[in-house]
Amino acid sequence: MRPRRRDWEILGLEPGADLAAVKRAYRHRRALYDGESLATYTLLEDDERRKIQAEIDAAFRRIVGEEPPSERLGMPAEAYDETDGIDVSAATPPDPSHQPGLYLRHHRQHLGLDLQQIAAETRISPAILSKIEHGEREGLPAPVFVRGFVLQYARALGLSDAEKLANAFLERMDG
Amino acid sequence: MIEEYEAAAAKGPRIWAIGGGKGGVGKSVIATNLGASLAASGARVVLVDADLGGANLHTLLGVATPPTNLSDFVARRVKKLADVAIPTTVDNLRLVSGAKALLEMANPNYGQKGKILRHISALDADHVIIDLGAGSAFNVLDFFLIARRGILVVVPEATSVENAYHFLKAAYFRKLKRAQPRPQIRSAIQQVMAEVSPQDLRTPRDLVARVMAVDHDAGAALVAEASTFNPSLIVNCAEHAEHQRLGNDMSTACLDYFGIRLECLGTLPADRLVARSVSRRSPAAVLYRRSPFVNAMRGIAERLASPNWRPS
Repeated sequence: MRPRRRDWEILGLEPGADLAAVKRAYRHRRALYDGESLATYTLLEDDERRKIQAEIDAAFRRIVGEEPPSERLGMPAEAYDETDGIDVSAATPPDPSHQPGLYLRHHRQHLGLDLQQIAAETRISPAILSKIEHGEREGLPAPVFVRGFVLQYARALGLSDAEKLANAFLERMDG
Repeated sequence: MIEEYEAAAAKGPRIWAIGGGKGGVGKSVIATNLGASLAASGARVVLVDADLGGANLHTLLGVATPPTNLSDFVARRVKKLADVAIPTTVDNLRLVSGAKALLEMANPNYGQKGKILRHISALDADHVIIDLGAGSAFNVLDFFLIARRGILVVVPEATSVENAYHFLKAAYFRKLKRAQPRPQIRSAIQQVMAEVSPQDLRTPRDLVARVMAVDHDAGAALVAEASTFNPSLIVNCAEHAEHQRLGNDMSTACLDYFGIRLECLGTLPADRLVARSVSRRSPAAVLYRRSPFVNAMRGIAERLASPNWRPS
């Protein structure tokens, strides 16, 4: 199937752009229309969103001649930085009150960010961030500091329920 | 009214109108600091407080009781708009205050609006910055549309983004509606409006497509008109990486969904010094020249002052 002019438009590219540019544009567009992006969250109805997502996928298929990357929601492959085999990137996020750490990790991966990027933003070490994500108490400082870390982490992700999350996390530390 | 204005605008000051559907996103603070930043680079700037219902630029500039204001001009107590442009504590920066504007002035009629526009484009200045009120009333939209560039302000919150899209859509439809002197175009649009349900006309792009189907020439004229709609965007109160992306993401979404080119002029960081400057009643651009907010604002001012700058 040959790409149409419209396919390039859908990805915001000039016809004939190279493969790397196509992949970048595809990821950007998919992330933009994934339902979590602030820029489109209030703009589109669900059916419109699904239609646009399908158009983006179809444009990719026609231009590249293969299926779009399997990683969900336009995330770069690097976002899957963990090796423990738990796919927290699944569509339903973990319950924030029971698994606040995994909930944070889900949202981080959803945004395509790695621990280093969060560390740069919050000035909390990646090791601590990882312990928070996995709910490991060993090696974490006193709860009052941990509370601050969780708040900062959640805010860096733009989560609105940072307070609730920090409380849930502390409850689990006590328990 | 508009054609006459446009002819004058070619040699007059660059006119920037700052709007955005939502109140409290920082329009007035941005207008003041943009004005002060442009003035600091030597440009002559006039700020016009057109937030007729809730004017407060004078307070942000430390002018307790403006001796004259916009309503003196509208009520013909003075002859020229320039007569009510008062100096401020910032060099090169004058203010047309909206303070104590008469309540009925919150809705100036067609003639008054035209007169204000003519006088704004006749001001002896390099830049005029109009601070619009919140909301998408026709008055706000008209001032937004006649400016050299209408600038929308959003903060990274779903409600603000939503209102910004609503505002853009309203401004765009207003522009298309006003630009129909030719009966052929008007009748094509009326036919579409009558035949197509509102759900199928959600975006300007839908309207253009439908008109095109009814009458190709009328559709082409609409496309030409639409291409002159070039609003800009400033993202205020950005706190983290995702917020930095918002401006460009909104540009992309606008082009994809509405077919509107929305240029992001810049992103201003959340900065505690801004609140402090407001309580000190002087622009941050004067008090805290090295703050992150003022640095980012300077970048935007340089862009608007560039001699090569033209609507894309």
